[in-house]
This record gives sequence, structure tokens and C-alpha cells, in this order.
Amino acid sequence: MKQLFLFGFAVCTAVALSACGGKKSGEEYVGVDGDYVTGMPLPDRVDGANFFGGTVNRSQFEPVYFPYDGFTVSDSELIKLETVAASLKNMSNDIIIAGFTDERGTEEYNRGLGERRAQAVREQLIAMGISGNRIQTVSFGEEMPADPGSGEAAWARNRRAEFGVIK
Amino acid sequence: MKIRFRILAALALLPLALPAQEAPTITIRKTDSIALAVQPVAGAGGETVTSVLRNDLAVSGWFSMGDAGAASYVVSGTMSGGGLSGVVKDRAGGVVLSKSYSGTPRAMAHAFADDIVETVAGQTGIASTHIAFVATRTGKKEIYLADYDGANVRQITNDGVISVAPALSPDGRKLAYTGYQSGYADIYLVDIITGARNRIVKFPGTNSGAAFSPDGGRIACTISKDGNPELYVVAANGSGAKRLTRTRGVESSPSWSPDGSEIVFSSDEGGNPRLFRISSGGGTPRPVSTGHSFCTEPSWSPDGRKIAFTVRNNGIAVTDLSSGSTRIVASSGEDPVWGADSRHLIYSTGSALMLLDAQTGKSTPIVTGLGKVSEPTWSR
Repeated sequence: MKQLFLFGFAVCTAVALSACGGKKSGEEYVGVDGDYVTGMPLPDRVDGANFFGGTVNRSQFEPVYFPYDGFTVSDSELIKLETVAASLKNMSNDIIIAGFTDERGTEEYNRGLGERRAQAVREQLIAMGISGNRIQTVSFGEEMPADPGSGEAAWARNRRAEFGVIK
Repeated sequence: MKIRFRILAALALLPLALPAQEAPTITIRKTDSIALAVQPVAGAGGETVTSVLRNDLAVSGWFSMGDAGAASYVVSGTMSGGGLSGVVKDRAGGVVLSKSYSGTPRAMAHAFADDIVETVAGQTGIASTHIAFVATRTGKKEIYLADYDGANVRQITNDGVISVAPALSPDGRKLAYTGYQSGYADIYLVDIITGARNRIVKFPGTNSGAAFSPDGGRIACTISKDGNPELYVVAANGSGAKRLTRTRGVESSPSWSPDGSEIVFSSDEGGNPRLFRISSGGGTPRPVSTGHSFCTEPSWSPDGRKIAFTVRNNGIAVTDLSSGSTRIVASSGEDPVWGADSRHLIYSTGSALMLLDAQTGKSTPIVTGLGKVSEPTWSR
């Protein structure tokens, strides 16, 4: 069972840079219980770790930005993740990745899309050698915009994943 | 004359709301306009009952309201001892409905209206139903409850964080919603009668988008604990999570078929979000052909025949499952939800909730002035 799981992880890691953050890939990964697992299961939550609360430092890392309705991490944004991964290797803190969308589209779809963005970033960090057990995710969808305005510039700033370091 | 004018006006407006390549599927049947007269209800509270009753019957869409002389049926009522005695007679003077009601004047009028709709038109009424929705009146997103016509608004949550995605159980007694009190998105269950609240789905990641099965015993929702937002079914107390989908995309906004055997949902696996249906016990999802490429928030009608959904930048659409045809029923708006009569939809324009008669295209604002309003849900 565990071997199957590790196999799934290895496959995911191997193709992560080219496909794991992508959208149209039809690849699926054989994992736990012979089930199709398409990502690394999340670890248990850290009690009391609220992304917007006082025990989380949200200013340590730059947000990662996304294209309209997409969850692919672009090459320019991957550079930011390498910085995040390098820092995480020198610290023991767990992190929360929060996904956000712009205001267009329906609310519940955007909650799902924000979560998918957070998970896409998590997959990339795992591929860079960070343990998935250190990385939680949460989606706020179109809530809590970085820019409360409307229009292309505001929307681009709001399609993002932010990093919170649990103190 | 007035009735005829209304029907002509409705027909004249229809082509404007339809894409040119799609044939209109709306037919104005004779049963759509049963001539009905409502006489003033006598006694204390009679004025309220009369106005609520007239509005309910006009909104239902099955009747044309007019004078007693020209009516096929005449509705009358008397208030006594705080109760309502309601009577409906046909043109020959025969009593087709005679019943007593108790409760508030509004509740009695709604109950009487539903009985008239059932007895005279042979349809399911919506007058006694409730809606819940999200509003930003306090500056935060909170959940509110109201009668179907927007009366009796009351605030259900006062969490001061983000409370969204409400779902009323079919009987209107329970409310599930997504709340962020823990810092993460969890699904909460509220007993509307007692006010008791429990956090029932709280896996790592995001838990959201609850939808009750028609018997109220199960909840479909989106859970991301396995590393991707996927469709799940849990028991109504949150236990026994069973995963239905296995994709790399985003699965969201489930809605059940009336017999509980299937679920329609939105998935962007393979590109833009589109609609799929899957057995509620699991299996392979099948695409629902809509002719639109960006479809979210589906609602399956209680008669099983139609699915309403949001088309990005195009408003509200309805797909007829037997004919496969799709038509736009409102040119803007989001989050449609079917009423018990499979005829009316409630949807959001952002500043208002609208009650739409999907057969005539007539739209009426029912909730305004509460800030931004969104994500309506409707009891059956």
C-alpha cells in the first residue's frame, strides 16, 4: 500500500514541472488503495492556525499570480517558488497556502478554483523537495481581494496564491 | 382583454431572450391562465391575507386574476378567532375547496394559496417555501433566511468572518453552509428551529458547496483533502465521506436529481467549466450537453426534466434534458435555483434576488437593500 503511494508521489514529482500545475493534462496517478490520486493528500490541520490570524506570518514570501481561470504556475512565477522552497529548507515551520480568484464567475466555482491554485503551488513545492506534510491549503475564492477594485489590473492582482508561515 | 394583452406581450418578448439558432420551447397553454377572482377577505387581518393571497396566486403563473363575473373560480375567505376559513367555488357555485387555517396572516395566506394551486391548477405550490442566501448588509458575508416572496428576512449567522454557500434541506428545517471560523472553509449544519449548530465537514483543505439529497439524508459537497477539489457525498451529519470524482480539475456546485440517483455538477477538467452528471453512488461522469462552454452552479428541477445554470457573461440558461435544447432565460445574473413547481427560478443579480417565471420570462425583485446578495437556496 505504502509502495503504491510512494510510486504515485514519484510519478507526480517526475512530471511536476511539466504537467502537475497544468490544466488540460489528462494524466492521473495510481495511488492509495489502487484509487486514482491526483495530488498529495493534505496533512492534518494545525489547530488554531488561521491564515488571517495573529499566529501566521503572511509577509515573508511574495504571492504567486495566475492567468484568467487558470491554475498553471507560469515559468516566471516558478522562480518565486524556488525562493520559497530554499527558505523552507532552512526552517522547520509549517505553511498555509491560500488560493484566491478575481471577482468574475460564480462564488462556489471560485472557491474550488482558489483551492486548486493553492494545491498547484503545493505540488510544485513538493516537487522542489519540500515535504507535503508541512503544507496546508485553504481557498477564499473571490473573498479577501488584494485589490478591491474592478478591471484587468485589479483582477490580475487578485488571481493569486499567498503564503502564510505558521509561527 | 387585459389577459390577452399579457400573453401577447410575453410572446412578443420571448424571441429577444433567445439565441437565433435555438427554437423556442415555450408554449403558452390554456391551463396557464385559469381565470380566478379573489374577493376581499373579511375580518381582522383580512387585508393582509387578501393582498398576500392575491400576490401568491398571481406570481404562481397558473392563473389570470380578474373580476368574479368573468372568473372560472372565485376565492373567498373569512377571518374569525385569528384563523382563516377559505373557500373556492367554481362558476356553477360548487365548492371545490373549503379549509381552515391557523398561524400568522401571511402563513395562512401562503398555505391557502398552495392549496388553491394544487386543487385548481393541479400543480405544486411555492407560496409556503423559504429561501436562504448570502448578504453583505453587516459588512461581512452572513446567511439570511426569508419567505419565498422576500418577506420576513432574518439573519441566521452572525459569525463576523465569511459565511457562504447556504443550502436549505428540502423540508426547510436544516441549513448547511460554508463558514471560515476555523480559518479554513468548513461545512456547518444549523437546525433552523432550535438554532443548534455543528461543524460537520472539517477535513484538511477546503470543504464547501453543500447540497442536500431530495430525502434530506445525504449531502453532496466539494472536499480537497486528497490534494484536489473533488465531489463527495456524506451523510447529513457529515459522516462517511465517499469520493465520487477523480480528476485534476475543479469539481463544484452539486445538485441532486429528484430521485436522488444522480448528481449534476460543474467540472473544469479538460478546460472551461462544464456540466456533468454522475451516479450518486459513484461511477463515470457523463457530460451534459448545453451548447455553452462556461457553465457553473447547476440546479436540477424537482420534476427531473430541466437543469438551470449560470453561463459566464450570458446569464441564466435552462437545458431541457429530454429534448437537449438550451435557452437563455435571463440575460444576466448568477446562481439559479429551482422552486418546488419546476417553473420558477430564484437567482442573483448582485444587488437583488430575482424571482423568475421561466415559462413567461417575467422577473420580479424579491430581496433588495441588503448589500450584495448571492447564492440563493430554496426549500421544497
